[in-house]
Amino acid sequence: MSLMENLLMAVGSLQAHKLRSLLTMLGIIIGVGAVIIVVAIGQGGEAMLKSQIAGSGNTIELFYQPSNEEIAANPNIYNQAPFSQEDIRLVETIPGVKQVVATSSAFSTVRFREKTSDSSAIGINQAYLDVNDIEIAKGRGFAASDFISGRRVTMISSFMQEELFEGKSPIGEIIRIGAQPVEIIGVLKKPTGLLAFGSVEAYLPYNTWKTIFAKNEITQITLQAESADQIKRIGQTAAKKVNLLHGTEDSYQVINMEEIAQGLGQITKIMTLIIGSIAGISLFVGGIGVMNIMLVSVTERTREIGIRMALGATRKQVLTQFLIESMTLTLIGGIVGIVIGWGTSALISFFAGWPSLISWQVVAGGVLFSMIIGIVFGLLPANKAAKLNPIESLRYE
Amino acid sequence: MIIMENIIKSYKIAKEDLHVLSHINLTIQTGEFAAIMGPSGSGKSTLMNLIGCLDTPTSGNYYFAGENVASYKDEDLARIRNSSIGFVFQHFQLLPRLSALKNVELPMIYAGISKSERRDRSEEALRKVGLADRMDHLPNALSGGQKQRVAIARAIVNEPKLLLADEPTGALDSKTSETIMEQFTKLNDEGATIILVTHEAEIASYAKRTITVRDGRIVSESGGIT
Repeated sequence: MSLMENLLMAVGSLQAHKLRSLLTMLGIIIGVGAVIIVVAIGQGGEAMLKSQIAGSGNTIELFYQPSNEEIAANPNIYNQAPFSQEDIRLVETIPGVKQVVATSSAFSTVRFREKTSDSSAIGINQAYLDVNDIEIAKGRGFAASDFISGRRVTMISSFMQEELFEGKSPIGEIIRIGAQPVEIIGVLKKPTGLLAFGSVEAYLPYNTWKTIFAKNEITQITLQAESADQIKRIGQTAAKKVNLLHGTEDSYQVINMEEIAQGLGQITKIMTLIIGSIAGISLFVGGIGVMNIMLVSVTERTREIGIRMALGATRKQVLTQFLIESMTLTLIGGIVGIVIGWGTSALISFFAGWPSLISWQVVAGGVLFSMIIGIVFGLLPANKAAKLNPIESLRYE
Repeated sequence: MIIMENIIKSYKIAKEDLHVLSHINLTIQTGEFAAIMGPSGSGKSTLMNLIGCLDTPTSGNYYFAGENVASYKDEDLARIRNSSIGFVFQHFQLLPRLSALKNVELPMIYAGISKSERRDRSEEALRKVGLADRMDHLPNALSGGQKQRVAIARAIVNEPKLLLADEPTGALDSKTSETIMEQFTKLNDEGATIILVTHEAEIASYAKRTITVRDGRIVSESGGIT
């Protein structure tokens, strides 16, 4: 007897009890659907975290972590900028460094006519614009000449625009950072995504920042490598050189973004595993439901089994018939579950602004797993059917 | 066709052997139309189950078409039932969800016969029992006599060596019984070997030979070819 024949027979049997089949499938549908949703959202979340964290390609940040002795010697050390122009010149010479991003930040009151806002003023160099994806909503960005001449121009965040201009266009307006007048040439786009925090900020070319605050110091240095495999080496060399320059032991260090991303990926993986196993339990319960109904079905169809055996069905053929029937039940449930899971995770990701990843492995796994559930939980009922005695079964009322 | 030698069938009940059949010797030739008669509890049903390869004897030899099937395993018995025996039961034993045609196709499904051939042969079998116009009806839409004729069509469709009918008229009125028995007579005239199990003398009279079973033994025979 061919597989196709068996499948058609199974579908026929399931159709004979439509509501019962549907309710039994529901357990599998919910289980498979839940697994698909969890995995899709988990993988989507992981991908998004990675892209957010390691978004600016091939970069590594240098940071200052003073030792206990240094803090004891100078309790104010955290309030001082850790880097100078000299450090930039030093790390720029390391082979494999494409460019060095330097930022300096200071807190300042920003004033426009009567309105004021507490803001951070961030001085950036030209490399900053290359490494970070800065999207301008209105106006223009900094030109190379702005960096060189230190023109009094600024780009403000959308949040500052909301605070000071209430939706009116700020392009061309003069704001005062501290006491210094600066012309607004651009407004940045509102950031999107999970890790984007809205803050009130004004960006300035470094030379402008330097004259406004009368400081020549750098808060943050980020190195961009020419290729990804150089990041680690460049980071270590830079830390060593800067430590040497400052006469410190190990206070200057690097953070490897890749490692952070991997760590976060680990977290999302564990979360996915935990929620996934809960979904797996519901799938298991669904499987028990299938077994239960199949057992009822075997009892109800004792006579049918007796007739089939009298007409020449072997025990193996009866076993196969019931196995295929329970497998068909869970397979249909699994496919419906995948479709529903797919739809739901697409819907969730649409509203959460979160990518939803459904890989073919997950779909194939879902189909395969629901088939396996059908076989595993169908084994007991099918075996019961195959063990029936044809003579007694024919007499069964 | 059938040779039974010293067949014993016993069940262990409370550590004691209960002989349902003892020392049965029976030979049935190809082309015979035999009736097995006996009151209920005589062991005739057990005998029928043995003849129909639904069960195996406790001891003795049973040659079915030359094969000693007494010690056969389930799989082999199923094969013989499928290829060589056609059953007609008292309560028709049709699958209620399948049409008359699909019911007749059943034994051929297990014989591994292709779909188109199954259909052709089923239609032919149904035509033979006079149900050409009822092929797509479900059993519930058929009368008792029609149901039994579907069952006969199913029994003969695999061209079995033996047709085994267990009280085939037990659920039918006398007029319908007559047409069913005429059907069997016609099949026998065409060469079919038929064994009929019944407790009604009137029905048994259609057969050419009557074997009477009582208390697990064959007590009388009449009209045998041997």
